[in-house]
Amino acid sequence: MNDLVQLASLAPLLALAGAIINGLFGRSLRGNAPGVIASLAVAAGFVLSLIAFLGVRAGGAVRVRFGDFLVAGDLNIGLGFHFDQLSVLMMLIITGVGLLIHIYSIGYMQGDDGFSRYFAQLNLFVAAMLVLVMADSFPLMFVGWEGVGVCSFLLIGFWYKDLKNASAGRKAFIVNRVGDFGFLLAMFLTFKAFGTLDIQAVNAAAPSFAYGAAILTGIGLLYLLAAAGKSAQLPLHTWLPDAMAGPTPVSALIHAATMVTAGVYLIARTGGIFANAPSAAATVVWVAVLTALMAAIVAIGQTDIKKILAWSTISQVGFMVAAVGAGAYWAGIFHVLTHAFFKALLFLGAGSVIHALGGEQDVRKMGGLGRKMRVTGTTSLIATLAIAGVPFLSGYFSKDAILGALLTSSPLGNYGGQILFALLMVTAGITAFYMFRWYYLVFAGEPRSSAEYERAHESPAVMTVPLGILAVGSVLIGYVGLPAFLAPNAIQEWLAPVMAHVDFDHLNTSAEWMLLLGSVLVAAVGLGLGYWVYVIGSGELAKRIGNTPLANASRGAFGIDRLYRGLFTEPGEGLAEGVASLDRDVVDRGLTGVSGAVPLLGRLLVLLQSGYVRAYAFAMVLGVLALAVVAALIGVLA
Amino acid sequence: MISLYVILLPVLMALLAILARGSAPLVRGLAFLGGIGTFALALFLAGSEGFNAAWLPGIGVNFALDATGAGPVLVLVAALVMIPTLLVAASRVEKGAAGFVALLLLAQAGLNGIFLSKDLIVFYIFWEATLIPGLLLLGIYGGDRRRQATLKYLVYAVAGSFLMLISILALKALSGAASFHITELMIATPALSAATQTWLFVGMAVGMMVKLPLWPLHSWLIDLNEQNHPSGAADVLGSLYKVGAFGFFAWALPLLPAGAERVAPYLLALAAVTAVYGALAAISQDHLKRFLAYGSLSHMGIIGVGLFGLHLAGLSGAIYFLAAQMLSTGGLFLVAGMLYHRRRSFSVKDYGGLAKSAPAFAAVSLFLIFAYIGVPGLSNFPGEFMALLGAFQTSPWPAAFATLAVIAAGVYGVNLFQRLFQGTTTVPTTDLSPLELYVLVPFVAGVLWLGISPAPQLRQIEQQASLVTLQLERVVEAQPGVPAVTLAELPGGER
Repeated sequence: MNDLVQLASLAPLLALAGAIINGLFGRSLRGNAPGVIASLAVAAGFVLSLIAFLGVRAGGAVRVRFGDFLVAGDLNIGLGFHFDQLSVLMMLIITGVGLLIHIYSIGYMQGDDGFSRYFAQLNLFVAAMLVLVMADSFPLMFVGWEGVGVCSFLLIGFWYKDLKNASAGRKAFIVNRVGDFGFLLAMFLTFKAFGTLDIQAVNAAAPSFAYGAAILTGIGLLYLLAAAGKSAQLPLHTWLPDAMAGPTPVSALIHAATMVTAGVYLIARTGGIFANAPSAAATVVWVAVLTALMAAIVAIGQTDIKKILAWSTISQVGFMVAAVGAGAYWAGIFHVLTHAFFKALLFLGAGSVIHALGGEQDVRKMGGLGRKMRVTGTTSLIATLAIAGVPFLSGYFSKDAILGALLTSSPLGNYGGQILFALLMVTAGITAFYMFRWYYLVFAGEPRSSAEYERAHESPAVMTVPLGILAVGSVLIGYVGLPAFLAPNAIQEWLAPVMAHVDFDHLNTSAEWMLLLGSVLVAAVGLGLGYWVYVIGSGELAKRIGNTPLANASRGAFGIDRLYRGLFTEPGEGLAEGVASLDRDVVDRGLTGVSGAVPLLGRLLVLLQSGYVRAYAFAMVLGVLALAVVAALIGVLA
Repeated sequence: MISLYVILLPVLMALLAILARGSAPLVRGLAFLGGIGTFALALFLAGSEGFNAAWLPGIGVNFALDATGAGPVLVLVAALVMIPTLLVAASRVEKGAAGFVALLLLAQAGLNGIFLSKDLIVFYIFWEATLIPGLLLLGIYGGDRRRQATLKYLVYAVAGSFLMLISILALKALSGAASFHITELMIATPALSAATQTWLFVGMAVGMMVKLPLWPLHSWLIDLNEQNHPSGAADVLGSLYKVGAFGFFAWALPLLPAGAERVAPYLLALAAVTAVYGALAAISQDHLKRFLAYGSLSHMGIIGVGLFGLHLAGLSGAIYFLAAQMLSTGGLFLVAGMLYHRRRSFSVKDYGGLAKSAPAFAAVSLFLIFAYIGVPGLSNFPGEFMALLGAFQTSPWPAAFATLAVIAAGVYGVNLFQRLFQGTTTVPTTDLSPLELYVLVPFVAGVLWLGISPAPQLRQIEQQASLVTLQLERVVEAQPGVPAVTLAELPGGER
């Protein structure tokens, strides 16, 4: 079984091979061939991941080392993969959801100039993302980490002729580099503290430090900075809404289902550190909860069908990060899993609508589309209900697990766990509200633009079949994580062997029921408010609410982008300009002046200036000879 | 003997190229042959037998070459870079191509001498001699302001070398070493008093800082790159000839460990400033070559951080980075030359949207830019990472400050790509010609090679890096007058 698990090491290589084939020869391939090749590469990766999953289930974790990477004295970093319960689960999500999105893309990107380039980049992304989760050391993980960032940059700016798209890609890359700066420092500090960068070794050694040791807290906060960059958490969230400039399937795969959850994975993977650094872990939760709340409020005020989903993603990733920060690593990964289904489905549904309307993304010009796009409408409704936390759908179970974790996490108790719980509960309600708004404005009610409505049509099967599969997943996948007091919680048990241990208070059964009912209530209130504002109030009410300061803040995303422009971008540009002119006008002139002032060199200067350039060379040769003679003299004398 | 041949072969080919200057095809053939031949030799260089001949026995100078440690790695990567560079020189220089090719080959011979010599005087002679082809390339083939740039280059180099030479001569005289051979010196010089070592180290450091270069002694570099021949071939040489770091690594640090320990913190601070300063300055450059000059100044700063952190991983990483940066920096200078070939301009403002009409050109350029800004999996990452990691172990704050350059590199890297290749098409451009494709392929291959499989080269470099740390460790233990190390303890110690 071990050998079979090791076989899964081929998964990223196959995706890479697909990328190379499409990159080099894609332009000479006909029809759908680039898409089919890319999909096959990911399909093979999915099969291999499944084999690895079964192998790990049968025989536990497997490590494979291919060779050395970075070596110098004590530093010994190999090229190796670690297959365990966590990494194979992530592999399944990446290749499984990835495959559906590849297939969908064949329909969505039909006829685009860059058809093969698109699939090359998408395959490259899958390869990098797999390396990220499979890596057994931090530096190799960082290879995948920056690799997905590069692919994200390429795919956001896929339609690069419009400079706005290209700039969105650039912004994503630069903001992510701030996070990468944190990742690098975290690795440096990890090596200083642990003397190794092997992830398993670090996790194993973390408990040998004093509980709450400053160095662990420092490392934890630096990894948090890294996670905030990749997972679009405060204060590094600003790139994700702009990232919607990329093709919609890219938003589904990279900016919803997989890459943005890398920060969650990072914190879960380094659980050994966070479990022993409670203040760092609590900071993680605070950042995440505030991000979730802020982004949910902003989502209400958006009018772009994809931007609403983008802010929703920031908010939902906040839920996941909160869970891993609270020490409920399994709950965070569980929400990664359920979110991968319903959020990918929402994006693909949005893509189907945009595709049908020939590029229209303004929800104010939509409405009633569910009648003309039955599959898209129905599946989007399922996803909407799932994310809103309607009972018995997947999002309900994972969200409830997170809320419970915040309430009961022992280390979090000293850092305002109950406030965090309450804030996240409110956020869950807002989620139901803005998702109702999204669905209603797009698919229900009366068409607000007849031209757009006339144009609408259902997408081809290559797009609707993936929607159907994701819809089934959005309903059913939650049953792998039923509340433990009711039924066996499969995912918690699955992940338990590889997760760091954090203490949780025990809730009695009635409290557990209260919690479950509470989540239902919050979802119902959110959906009900949505119904009241948009259906009963039929827009009038919405307009009136729309003039409050909070609504304005929501539309403007709290002005954070503008703030950063004033705080970082412009001063940064000024600093760069300043350094450049300092160099040109002061350092350069100053030193040339100084060197001219030295009499000997001054004379040399005049002498050399008078001659032809070859004379300089002659002087140099003479100089060397003269020095050799001096050397000889000293040698003889000494 | 291969260590001697990698020096002699380029010299021979240079002479032949000058003799054949009447025939352009012949010059091209010789350029190609010289590049390939040297590369082939370099492949077999590591671990081959050294070369040693008495030269000036009266003063203890031996023509000693040796193929252990970091030298062969640097020679090999430089040889890989030289193949396409020679091709570009032979086909894109309109007037006096034979001379251009000959100067490049002579410079390569000199570089190989710098990397392989084990005698301090021989090292110094190669160090100085290699300056001449560089100066001539700038002075004869450069742009309108070449005289000024040449002069500046010369003044900086000569001023720096002067102090360096005094230190070198004093080193043997004061320590009483039997010869200028590295192993003899390494026994004798660490026994010097810490104060003496410090003065000697400072003397050597000035010359090496100019060539590293470190802020604020870098101005010559910017003008040199701006004014060099527009093909970019001479700038590639410039990126190979940043030998200051190697001078510290192979000579100044192991010979004067007590001096190094005292001075290193100041140099470390300068290097960290250089790393961030160069990256910031690169952001607002409109001139392609000035942009690359500042970007690589930032790289040199990081290399300096790795060196002066005096940690084994940092030392190894710095030298690995020194080898690796030749590829992406060299490749991008040739890309700049190819752009100039199309539009006669180095101003970024004259470009935009080229990806539409020249997709392969855009793809290769983007690949090299990503390598240039240290994306992991590509050539600059292993060295950059280890340089910063190593320095962080001994001096966290300066290393963390230098790591800020990573963010700035993201800014200047993607900015450059966007301004050249994205947006609406300005004027359609031809995609890569077959020649240009052949020229860039070795760079792409090299970037992948050094990015994915750094371990074998790192092991070679570590052999030599451990000498430095060994010498440093003994600073504390060493008693005045007692040799710090014995011959037998040094790897490759027997002469």
